[in-house]
Amino acid sequence: MTSEQLVGELPADVVSGDDDTGDDADEFTRSAEAWLKENVPARYRDHRGALSNEETDEIRRNWDRQLHQGGFAGLGLPREWGGQGLGLREEVAFHVLAGKAKAPDGFGRVAKVLVAPMLITSGTEEQKAKYLPKILSGDEVWCQGFSEPSAGSDLAGVKTRAVKVDGGYLITGRKTWTSFAQHADYCFLLAQTDPAAPRYKNLGMFLVDMKQPGVSISDIKQISGAIHFAEVAFTKVFVSDGDIVGEPGDGWSVAMRILTDERGGTETAARYVEIRSDVDLLLESCGDRPELASELQELDIRTELLRWQLSKVVDLEDDMGDAFQRAVSILKVLWSELWQDVTRVGIKAMVAADREHWRYQYFESRAVSIYSGTNEIQRNIISERVLGLPR
Amino acid sequence: MSASTTLPDEIGLLASESIRDMVSRATDNAPIATYAEGESPLSWQSISDGGWDQIGIIEDGEGASLRDLVEIARAWGESCIPLPLLPTIMAKRHSAAARAVDGPVTIAIPSATRTDGTCFVPYGQLGDIVVATGLDAGTDCVVPVTDGLADDFDILMHGVQAHMRTDMSMSAARELGVVFAAEASGAAKKLLNDGIVFAKEREQFGKPIGSFQAVKHHLANALINAELAETAVIWSSLQEHEVFRGALFAIDRSIAVGELVLQVHGGLGFTWEMGLHFYLRRMLGARELVSGLSSEFGGV
Ligand SMILES: Cc1cc2nc3c(=O)[nH]c(=O)nc-3n(C[C@H](O)[C@H](O)[C@H](O)COP(=O)(O)OP(=O)(O)OC[C@H]3O[C@@H](n4cnc5c(N)ncnc54)[C@H](O)[C@@H]3O)c2cc1C
Repeated sequence: MTSEQLVGELPADVVSGDDDTGDDADEFTRSAEAWLKENVPARYRDHRGALSNEETDEIRRNWDRQLHQGGFAGLGLPREWGGQGLGLREEVAFHVLAGKAKAPDGFGRVAKVLVAPMLITSGTEEQKAKYLPKILSGDEVWCQGFSEPSAGSDLAGVKTRAVKVDGGYLITGRKTWTSFAQHADYCFLLAQTDPAAPRYKNLGMFLVDMKQPGVSISDIKQISGAIHFAEVAFTKVFVSDGDIVGEPGDGWSVAMRILTDERGGTETAARYVEIRSDVDLLLESCGDRPELASELQELDIRTELLRWQLSKVVDLEDDMGDAFQRAVSILKVLWSELWQDVTRVGIKAMVAADREHWRYQYFESRAVSIYSGTNEIQRNIISERVLGLPR
Repeated sequence: MSASTTLPDEIGLLASESIRDMVSRATDNAPIATYAEGESPLSWQSISDGGWDQIGIIEDGEGASLRDLVEIARAWGESCIPLPLLPTIMAKRHSAAARAVDGPVTIAIPSATRTDGTCFVPYGQLGDIVVATGLDAGTDCVVPVTDGLADDFDILMHGVQAHMRTDMSMSAARELGVVFAAEASGAAKKLLNDGIVFAKEREQFGKPIGSFQAVKHHLANALINAELAETAVIWSSLQEHEVFRGALFAIDRSIAVGELVLQVHGGLGFTWEMGLHFYLRRMLGARELVSGLSSEFGGV
């Protein structure tokens, strides 16, 4: 069994299902494919491993600008704010195609997936006008300042303080595990506005300029040896009144609105492609080893079913009912644990030619059950909010 | 062959206790990250002064059993000290030329992820080390490490991938496999303890994370895996069938412990500084070596 047999004409399938939009989607797929073919930097596509960190960073930063010029930035965002006015269907299709075309991952992901939707639903007109154009054009990079040394799973427990001063706030505190901090122009950050207010009502959501005195970034090295996140200390960093999203006590609800957004779908699409390519590598390199046969078959089918699960989510999106909630709620647990199982088999398969690949992937994959809500927290959410079990 | 007891003899018990003491005095129980990339906190001198490098030698039929060596390797595995104690013990056990050497001795081992004819030489980067050419097989000499590529995946093992190879008898190969697995299972035991300590100390939502059932179950599962790993190395050390299968099983259970404990640490677990990965690297490295030994010597 080859993976091709199972996968077939993949992108069209991901977006199949709805007759009315079927043709549009196909046209979208065709144009995206053509554009990617033209625009994915060949250096990155073919020699990714040989590039220096600086070269990779440069390519990734530039990719956000290319997406914008090509009309593929903010696919799911409204047109009036510079997006393409399309839906999850196209977002997912594009991520799959981009992954297959070995496109870089831009630095704009946090901004486009989290900040832009947040500003569109909860921001002021001034905030939208000030930030959205440069998010979409890829000129400004954002990082997410939620986690702190003592507040990870318990996000509502953030201790960073925002103290009211004339015309704004002074932010003091420490954020940690901040991805993209080293590249970021802005950080959207949760801080306590009123320590006396009850839990969930005491936080504000701030848009903080990272390029100012008082912001100090220290690299944190990860288990693979790579440096992809940092600790960020804020010492009396000024934020103007115009850069709070919502009321000073609204931070928690603003955060929850974006965290429960459908970002799960696009992230899953991107991950699906990486997992598919890892499974294909396994099938190619050890598909003929009898002792691995059943394990590989199982991983192969789980990977294919991940794609179908995603198709289900896309098809259910419009009614947003129970079925959609159930289908979408399990995506993170599904893909993260699948990928970890794949990399574990990869490293245990002992294929000499792929040794470094699996060593790296194995360590990288340890993170996916920890970030954006650990899998334990995901299961708490599934059992309590989706299934309604007692807390 | 059926063993009358699963316990080690006095020699294994005493040696493992003493080694544990020696290491904890040397490291002051400091976290592994404090010495992982620098000097060894323990000197080779203190190992040879204690005669620990000779503990595996059998004279007139008397000496440590493989079961005793399992106990020693488990104690050693708890700290990943970057010194070639275990290869030296095994070389001296199976080679007269190695016994004649005062300093450390290592072994060139076929490894499953090297098909280019090279072998993996643990601690081959250390200056004064020599390689035993034959363990109860081939010619019995010691030679310097030939030029090779450093393989720093298991950072504390300072390994080299070189065009050389130690000949070994089937039983020496089996013993080596068991000892590497035992070392990995010792690392698993250490990680489990770290996980328990962390779960009691780290608080979220106003209580220790160890009070959440999900975390409890992770650690209970880690214990189950750590126990199974120990049982599997004992089993492998006391009978001769499917020794490599037992050793690989033990390593896989140890890796499972590492993964669970890393998850329990959350973001911290993913950091270089926290150091859980040093142990995982040791386990994954052991898996490559034992797989290599298994495919060379395991064809039952
Ligand atoms: C690669 C990576 C990138 C990241 N990027 C960012 C970023 O850009 N911005 C940002 O703000 N954060 C980021 N994070 C942080 C991430 O969101 C946190 O690590 C995560 O929320 C867990 O928090 P913690 O690390 O404090 O672990 P803890 O919350 O201390 O958790 C420790 C363990 O306890 C478990 N646990 C905790 N509470 C419960 C409970 N109630 N029930 C059951 N189990 C529980 C956890 O599941 C975990 O196993 C990143 C993390 C990683 C690994």
